[in-house]
Amino acid sequence: MSSILKQPLTAYQKWLRAKSWAMRSLCMAFTAGIVGVLLLITGYLTSIGAKSLSWDFFTRLPIPIGMDHAPGGMANAVVGTIILVALASVIGVPMGLLTGIYLSEYSAFSKLAAPVRFIADVLAGVPSIVVGILGYELLVAPWSYWNGHLNLFGHDWRLLPNGNYNGYAGAFGLAFIMVPIVSRTTEEMLRLVPQSYREASIALGATKARTILSVVVPSATGSLVTGVMLAIARVAGETAPLLFTALGTRLMNMDPARPFPSLTAQIFEYASGPVKEQRELAWAGILVLIALIFILNLAVRLATRSKHAAGH
Amino acid sequence: MQSESLPPSRTETNAPAAISKPLPMAAGRLLSGDTLLKGASTTAAVGILVMLVALVIVLSISAWPAVHKFGLHFLSSTDWRPNELEVPVRDAAGHLQLDSDGETVTTTIAPSFGALAVIWGTVISSLIALVIAIPVSFGAALVLVRMSWRKLSAPLSFLIEFLAAIPSLAYGLWGLFVLAPFLQNVVEPFIAKLIGGGTWVVDLSIHRLVDLSIHQSWLDFTLAKFTLDFTVGKFSFDTPQIPGLGFMLHETLSVNGNTIVREIPKTGRDMLCGGLVLAIMILPIITAISRDVLRAIPRAQIEGTQALGANWWQSSFEMLRYGKAALFGAVMLGLARATGETMAITMVIGNNNQISGSLFSPSQTMSSLLANEFAEANTDMHRAALTEVALVLLIMSLLFNIVARKLVVGRNK
Repeated sequence: MSSILKQPLTAYQKWLRAKSWAMRSLCMAFTAGIVGVLLLITGYLTSIGAKSLSWDFFTRLPIPIGMDHAPGGMANAVVGTIILVALASVIGVPMGLLTGIYLSEYSAFSKLAAPVRFIADVLAGVPSIVVGILGYELLVAPWSYWNGHLNLFGHDWRLLPNGNYNGYAGAFGLAFIMVPIVSRTTEEMLRLVPQSYREASIALGATKARTILSVVVPSATGSLVTGVMLAIARVAGETAPLLFTALGTRLMNMDPARPFPSLTAQIFEYASGPVKEQRELAWAGILVLIALIFILNLAVRLATRSKHAAGH
Repeated sequence: MQSESLPPSRTETNAPAAISKPLPMAAGRLLSGDTLLKGASTTAAVGILVMLVALVIVLSISAWPAVHKFGLHFLSSTDWRPNELEVPVRDAAGHLQLDSDGETVTTTIAPSFGALAVIWGTVISSLIALVIAIPVSFGAALVLVRMSWRKLSAPLSFLIEFLAAIPSLAYGLWGLFVLAPFLQNVVEPFIAKLIGGGTWVVDLSIHRLVDLSIHQSWLDFTLAKFTLDFTVGKFSFDTPQIPGLGFMLHETLSVNGNTIVREIPKTGRDMLCGGLVLAIMILPIITAISRDVLRAIPRAQIEGTQALGANWWQSSFEMLRYGKAALFGAVMLGLARATGETMAITMVIGNNNQISGSLFSPSQTMSSLLANEFAEANTDMHRAALTEVALVLLIMSLLFNIVARKLVVGRNK
């Protein structure tokens, strides 16, 4: 046997060995490349953004170039993004959770479950700019139409004061993106709850609704919250659905019936503009967004890991 | 539901609450908690279906004027002119015509909409992205799956998932302010020289001012100051022009009826930059999904190849072959993201609505066209045409997503 092992390699075997080594090195280089690009991008964004990040960013409104404290900050956009995401969550989270509950708990003999699951997956991949156009057609264009025509009894029945771009439409677009994400993660998390929990609850005489609300959902609360958090992180960074719906404004605006500011739209506007100070502010804004997303991701990661550790 | 038809029962509600509280099941209320929750969750589930149907129907209705007016010509025309155009009339010799007052005779060209240029932009930029992303992400997925060092594999996976979660605006900003200038100043001149031929100078020499001195108020002292001029070697060589690739560097323009050929100005904000940024953006998605696919391959399959004496690459190749359907699905998901990607591509692709074979010329994708023009469209037909572009984009991405889900999900179950 040892004589076989000691035989010198043929040229073909040497070639195979060299090829394997080369491919393996290449794959490792690719991995290193991905990590390198990530570090390059985040490192660059962090170092540039940190320079222009200050308290002014969170406390000041945008100030026109040429005036004192020139670029100002993005206080309005920070508040706007928070309100937009909150509004979107009010619609998107319950709908996503309920759909997830349906898919996990009521799908047993249902012909609806398979298409719903499939379409939720497909909807999660719809380009967000298309969602923005849907928001425009449903919640922006009709208002400007009615504002001109709804003049009954000598009174102008304006549904929205400005009758045009508004925060509700932006929140609708974000909610549209949220629903499929929340529903799919909810389904997956609820499926992880052991079947015996449900059986025990039913055996104690609880109804199905009581079982779901008091046993299944509470035992998965942690992971449901992380799923919702991930969806929030995702929509907080969305720009495309806001461009034709909330539009954005440089004023502090708390009224969603008017054009509504958002961090992402403001960053996009500043970054595409020619003014150096505003570009720096855009870098700071991106840093804030990425920090938010990193923290949410890390929290989710740690939460799921401790869950697994407790389970096994 | 038989309980719904029963009248509310008195005796049960009068019973002592704590001990013999009636089971909600037997309560006989018209709307029990069960019915409510089931109804609500079914409504929400149906709502998902309604969302997709609404998306398709609303876009179709809004796009109808453009569909009706341009028909299939919309997909084959490259003319995208939202506004009326007034052009001077020329005779056969190319001379301007003057009327009796000495004014130039002009004619009005009606607005026209054709999406071929943006479809081309989307297809080409996505292809560039795929060509780069597929080998890189498959390689990285293999390393992640086969790496025995778990301590490194877990953080790597986290990094890649985080990369997928970064908003596209961040990639756009980086592409616009870092990648585009780099391409403009370094990469594109290099490629242009490689294609167009030129003189390459290799200069291995040192020119350095050595200044060993101190300049302070209390001490001004120069020990030594000299120039180190030391030529190791300096040589140059010429490369010829590569025939057939001239379209990469030059474009043909028509100005006032004259045809001119000019060098494409290198701005860095062009198809190449767009494709690269897209590639970086779809890398984490394809990597993450193909990692899951490769991880799901039965262990015996890999061990079998190794027992037969396969080396690392041979068994990896078998893994790729075993999971090829699902890997194709992963690529499709990446493609769907690349075609629908908006913000980053809008910032880096240069936004010029044209078909060009060159990687250096600014282009436009469907999504960047929408991002640029939709909010400012002021005629109904312009808006309808943009909505039709959105409809085409939606159909493309639905197609990719459906194929991908069928492949990936079909594999896992």
